Amino acid sequence: MANRPQIRTAASALIAMIADEDTVVGFLLAGVGNVDLRRKTNYLIVDSKTTIKQIEDAFKEFTSREDIAIVLISQYVANRIRFLVDSHNKPIPAILEIPSKDHPYDPAQDSVLSRVKNLVSVESVASDRR
Amino acid sequence: MMEDQEEKGNAENGIGRQKQVKDEYLLQFLDSLDGYLTLLDSLSSTLSQGWLELASARHAMGASRINGALLDLKVHAAATSLKVSEQDVDSMESQPCFTLCKWASSDNGERSSGEEKSLSPQLRHRNNSQLSGIISSPVSFSHFFNFFLSCEEEKVSTRTGTPLILVDQQQRQKSLSVFGVLVSPKLRSAQLSFERALETLVEIANLHTTMLSMFEQVHKELENTNG
Repeated sequence: MANRPQIRTAASALIAMIADEDTVVGFLLAGVGNVDLRRKTNYLIVDSKTTIKQIEDAFKEFTSREDIAIVLISQYVANRIRFLVDSHNKPIPAILEIPSKDHPYDPAQDSVLSRVKNLVSVESVASDRR
Repeated sequence: MMEDQEEKGNAENGIGRQKQVKDEYLLQFLDSLDGYLTLLDSLSSTLSQGWLELASARHAMGASRINGALLDLKVHAAATSLKVSEQDVDSMESQPCFTLCKWASSDNGERSSGEEKSLSPQLRHRNNSQLSGIISSPVSFSHFFNFFLSCEEEKVSTRTGTPLILVDQQQRQKSLSVFGVLVSPKLRSAQLSFERALETLVEIANLHTTMLSMFEQVHKELENTNG
């Protein structure tokens, strides 16, 4: 049991969202919206005017907050900050890439699935060489 | 000679057990991967339905009544949250386990969730004349609905859990009220669709952590084999 990585448990953690307006509005209807005393929300609505820096700042903020356990991010938004999303390797918050209205989900672009695909392709090349 | 054969047998048994463990990790990984992809497909369908219902509600109520500018920026806690607990994978590893807590009432900073609190119900008693006055009025349905909701306001939770359904309804109504008092039935349907999507997402999150954990195990085993 020594040197076991600690999992951050919580009785009441939030779901953060970085997505288009309709997706955010829909999930807020489901009751996940939170505004704290500093008027900070747990969501960012991404539209045509949202810059990459704003998305990066929101992602960094949500992944560093201790009260957030899951970050939902539209896949087309994740593609804009792909390096940042792929470099996140902590179990909490879990980063889930979701489809959006105008951009269907593509498994080939998913962060986790592409990592798996890379491993399988590396192993098949290595076994061919042997 | 006999000892050599015995040692060889033991080595073969050891290799067989290792292979069995590797196969088990691989199977668990592939199983979680399959579940992950299936749930993502289901999520896509549920979200598509939600977007369509939201678009229908926007068409019925007007674009100015359903948009991001109306979102409540007053300080408020999320009515739907997550419980994160630790789940043991083996003696050296644990992974997070997510549980969705829907529509927890957060009045006066106290959160209630059926399985945790067991306060006795505190129903306000109204006299019969008030009730008969409400029922006989021309706009009786909306008044009766509001009366019904106000009676249930002070019911937090009971051991049987029945009043929580009404607390859920109140929280849902509160969430809808951001877009006005009278909302299209399509908006209510959209709300239910997104709630279903949330449930699917929590299942996906759990499978996601399992898949990552199994992936690491398989990766480790492959490296040990190659090394």
